Amino acid sequence: MKYRLKVGEDIPDLHVFKTEDPTALRFTAGDQEYDVSYKVLGENHYRLTVDGKSTEAFVVRGDHGKHVVVKGSSFFVQDADELPQRRGKPGGGEEAPGEVTPPMPAVVVRIMVKEGDRVKKGQGLVVVTAMKMETTLAAPRDGLVSKINTSVHAKVAPGDILVEIEEEAGNHE
Amino acid sequence: MFSKVLIANRGEIALRIIRTCREMGIATVAVYSEADALALHVLEADESVFLGESEPSESYLNIEKLVAAAKNTGAEAVHPGYGFLAENPDFAEACEASGLTFVGPPSKVIRDLGSKTVARRIMTAAGVPVIPGMLDAATDIDLLFMEADRIGYPVLVKAVAGGGGKGMRIVSRQDEFQEACLSAMGEAEKAFGNGALYLEKLLESPRHVEFQILADQQGHVVHLYERECSIQRRHQKIIEETPSPALNSSLRDAMGRAAVSAAGASGYVNAGTVEFLLDPSGSFYFLEVNTRLQVEHPITEMTTGLDLVRLQMEIAAGSPLPFKQEEVLPRGHAIECRIYAEDPENNFFPSPGVVLLHREPAGPGIRNDCGIYQGFRIPVEYDPIISKLVAAAGCRDEAIRRMIRALEGYAVAGVRTTIPFLIDVLKSQEFVQGRTHTDFIERHFGEWTQKRENADLVRMLYVIDELCFPKRTAAGVKLAGIPTPWQTLGGWSL
Repeated sequence: MKYRLKVGEDIPDLHVFKTEDPTALRFTAGDQEYDVSYKVLGENHYRLTVDGKSTEAFVVRGDHGKHVVVKGSSFFVQDADELPQRRGKPGGGEEAPGEVTPPMPAVVVRIMVKEGDRVKKGQGLVVVTAMKMETTLAAPRDGLVSKINTSVHAKVAPGDILVEIEEEAGNHE
Repeated sequence: MFSKVLIANRGEIALRIIRTCREMGIATVAVYSEADALALHVLEADESVFLGESEPSESYLNIEKLVAAAKNTGAEAVHPGYGFLAENPDFAEACEASGLTFVGPPSKVIRDLGSKTVARRIMTAAGVPVIPGMLDAATDIDLLFMEADRIGYPVLVKAVAGGGGKGMRIVSRQDEFQEACLSAMGEAEKAFGNGALYLEKLLESPRHVEFQILADQQGHVVHLYERECSIQRRHQKIIEETPSPALNSSLRDAMGRAAVSAAGASGYVNAGTVEFLLDPSGSFYFLEVNTRLQVEHPITEMTTGLDLVRLQMEIAAGSPLPFKQEEVLPRGHAIECRIYAEDPENNFFPSPGVVLLHREPAGPGIRNDCGIYQGFRIPVEYDPIISKLVAAAGCRDEAIRRMIRALEGYAVAGVRTTIPFLIDVLKSQEFVQGRTHTDFIERHFGEWTQKRENADLVRMLYVIDELCFPKRTAAGVKLAGIPTPWQTLGGWSL
């Protein structure tokens, strides 16, 4: 059975093979082969032995993926075949180019433009704050502010489109 | 001693204060905002008072509400923790005026030391070395220009009312000076309503070394030795240790004496911290006094065996210090790592959210001052600190290894944390050799990314979890027992 699992930007093919032992598997990734046995220590809690070397690990499900924690480091793993297809570019990954969304859950502090404003790429549009740190969200391209979907003091999260910027017709300098 | 104390703070520090109060038989009152209704400090306190909306000005920064909460619950004293109102002289004054004991220095001392120029004047008069610079702030560019020439470039332009790097500029050449002053003035005017600036000589690659002090109401002052806090990001410390690898015993004695003089000259009472910058030649300069319990106080507790919160309470209640300077004998080495809900791969961006998994490390010499739990939503409104992990051992090398072992055993998921970053810093040769300076992170870890060496392992765990619990979330039910994948697999073929 084949998995395509995304960690960071990498999505190598990972093949899984059954073995005689019900708690052992063989994996291949590229030219690497791994003989793996495991114990389930509790919900989310595993002990994995790879080629004779044991590691304690935790796995919890999050939104659109799982968090895997090994030796203090947490990794977010997503099944590339189950990733939600985004609007915009085919293949997903990028936001639609004229939409502005915060990089983290935050609170809106200031809105520096209004609907109908003409903006330049890189111009500050909205200032959000999270955990005492302010961040200015900038226009991803030149255009007209076609819609503002937020207000000062609003709680916002990644994926929320705060400002939409429309390309100006006939302007392709 | 007080019978009841209100803790005007939240998170790990509120919890840490509650614990000592419980040991002392003092009842505790917690305060909380909307976002913190289920926070650990609220759950642990004997009683709690709801302040209002999550916005700090409606809750933890609201002097009126805090004083009313203390009066209404019958608290006799208020402990401010650190941050929020801990160094706000108006808050200390409001407590004093309402007959509440403020666990900290008198409001006048907080006010004096909060003004950088007043503090510099007090220290100069007491013979404590200060960074060459101006004693009075100015708005006259020509005057500032002449002062810059006198001090010598590079100079640091600072806003007199400043903080957090706002209104601060580094100027290395004369022809850049005027423009830097104008923009710093504008920024300071906007942020603090006061555009006055002063100048300091810029020290290159200094270390940040601070001394813990304690002063009682009878006028005794002692220091509890130093903490080295050079590892910082965005001017905020993330790793601290004691003793400092940069001090020998004569420098340590000289700095300790200067710290005690600084406290004495300012009329200090209670626990405080005198911060110094130490340059590569071994000259040290007064930076500021933090008039509060410091975030990193646990490392001092680990090496001295003292409970600083207990001592704060005793001093506030009027007891004299129970020991003399020569009786303070630190042992071994302690390191603190601040675990923040931040993304270290992305400029330490805040990463608030729900903590899906939280497993704390344990074992010999480990202390974790933590204010969250699994399932808690870390609010966007406040400081991103999750916990302060402290490792103490016989010597520095053992403490570093112990800290790495503890960090590798700390499992947090759901929010990004500084844990993998801290592990790499502690393993670096620069850190192991004690070459820690305030520009350490920019210089050595500016482009840090998480190691991917375990990526395949992590993918295999994903698959195993998928095979063991295939219907866990899809069906919305938890499977009883722990089946092997071959019982639950259904119809897939290899």
